[in-house]
Amino acid sequence: MMLLEIKNLHKIYDNGTHALKGISLHVNEGEFLVVIGLSGSGKSTLLRCINRLIEPTSGSIKFFDKEITHVKGEELRKLKSQIGMVFQQFNLIKRRSVLSNVINGKLGKLSTFDTLIERYSDEVYKEAYSCLDIVGISDKAKIRADSLSGGQQQRVAIARSLMQNPKLLLADEPVASLDPATSNSIMQYFEKVNKEFGTTVICNLHFLSLVRRYATRVIALKAGEIIYEGLPSAIDESWFKTIYGEEAEEVEIR
Amino acid sequence: MIQNNEINLIPQKIIADKKKIEDKFNLAKAIFLDIFFVFYSIIVVQRAIYLKFILDKSDLPFSWHQIFTVFLVSIFIGTFWALSKTSLSCKLFGIANDNKTTKWTVEIFAWFLFNITFIAGWIVTKISIVSIFSSEGIHGAERLFGAMFHPQMGIFDDSLFAMIETIYIALIATLISIPPTLILSFFTARNLMKDNKISFAVYYILRIILNFVRSIEPLIWAIIFSVWVGIGPFAGMIALLVHTIASNAKLYSEAIEGIEQGPVEAISATGANKIQVVWHAVVPQIVLPFLSFTIYRWDINVRMATIIGLVGGGGIGTMLMQYQGLAKWREVGLIILMIAFVVWIMDYISAKIREAIY
Repeated sequence: MMLLEIKNLHKIYDNGTHALKGISLHVNEGEFLVVIGLSGSGKSTLLRCINRLIEPTSGSIKFFDKEITHVKGEELRKLKSQIGMVFQQFNLIKRRSVLSNVINGKLGKLSTFDTLIERYSDEVYKEAYSCLDIVGISDKAKIRADSLSGGQQQRVAIARSLMQNPKLLLADEPVASLDPATSNSIMQYFEKVNKEFGTTVICNLHFLSLVRRYATRVIALKAGEIIYEGLPSAIDESWFKTIYGEEAEEVEIR
Repeated sequence: MIQNNEINLIPQKIIADKKKIEDKFNLAKAIFLDIFFVFYSIIVVQRAIYLKFILDKSDLPFSWHQIFTVFLVSIFIGTFWALSKTSLSCKLFGIANDNKTTKWTVEIFAWFLFNITFIAGWIVTKISIVSIFSSEGIHGAERLFGAMFHPQMGIFDDSLFAMIETIYIALIATLISIPPTLILSFFTARNLMKDNKISFAVYYILRIILNFVRSIEPLIWAIIFSVWVGIGPFAGMIALLVHTIASNAKLYSEAIEGIEQGPVEAISATGANKIQVVWHAVVPQIVLPFLSFTIYRWDINVRMATIIGLVGGGGIGTMLMQYQGLAKWREVGLIILMIAFVVWIMDYISAKIREAIY
């Protein structure tokens, strides 16, 4: 079933940067779609347009056949609560515990007053712990988030997005600030979420070896346009040079 | 295919339109600024340098007629200069023509502005090397410094109590300021308020009010409140309170503007509403800076409270004023030493606390 349908999407920032130039793509349920491309090619902008952290300039985005390009207010919050997002810089609240960071993922579905005084039901706590279990880090629940290592913080961030029970999980270069070994283990958690819960994943990545291993489909962006769409195995040397430029050389990561 | 081209044209047009509007705005700003620059130069050269310094006139003739004439002339020159796109302001707003003429006019005019400002400042300040070295003056200063090093210890108890009063005035002003400052700071943080027009208007109006309140020194507030609620510590406390709220609201709101955007983005991406985003993503990041500013402000308030005492705000300042009026320099010496000591201690303590909480 079609989860996401994007048609001729443009984004022009206030400073005049034309970040997306007519992107059209569709994503089916259960896919693991990876977006590759150089820094500044529009990958992050594309993801942020999907969960409407930024407003597209023109074009249309349909989520489950529902037009979401310009939804506002309550409807927009409801949309956001169905889409999880994981960031390159983890974006945890550093001074709070791992547990409350995970519960933050549920904010959109709880009453405002309860979240202000942090009165959560046992169910919410249970759910938070089970989300932490999925990423194998529930023993660290009471620890301050900034005392964890980068990889562990990213796992907490994944747990936070799982707390939303997302239909779609967006990941904006989730392993770009991690070492190769940790990168691989973080990607395995995304794979687990994708395979076990059937959550659709759209992920920005840089390393082709990771792309080949985890993606079910790849799109490549260059200067705001899609220049490649297909299977990860079909990206050969010449495509690689087209995407990353003539001087690029592939870096292996295991 | 034609349809496809049309769609692709639209974004280019948006970019071009934006650029055009921006250029127009910049040109308007450049014209105003150039008029001001020309007006300023003529007035400064004519009044401060020519009339006051070269002709050495003590009372300058003043007429609106003359000012108006100068203004008209500068409108004329400034407008043409900006429209020619070679002026200093055009350069500042990035719309100047990139050629030799621009480079020369901008450099020469900037130098000219800086120099006349410095010269006029020198003349206005009445800088006089002679009076620093006059024997009479040096003698007077000697007497004061001498008294300070032989303080009158007889009034130690009294001045200690007055000092404690001052510290408490500062403390209470700081404590009471916290809740209103907190609330105000959220409404004066640009990143929280810029999203819709109404909140942006609130932000703007509050900023103007706070800037106005802050621009009036606590000393002036103390004079106002000593008339309002009567001379004494209460007037001094309110004066400090008003000024503390206005200046800390600015510091707090700047702390809010300077937070990491990542966590804010992450929390709003979960579908949280505005209040939840502020409470769960903004507040945890600003608790420590707020605490630090507040402690630092207590330290500042102790210093200000001594000054406020001079106009009847109670505490050690009032006492200092009394002895100074009686020309009892040894008592004044003791009070000054006490103030210096307490301020130094407060400075040290507040620095230590701020270090500890970070």
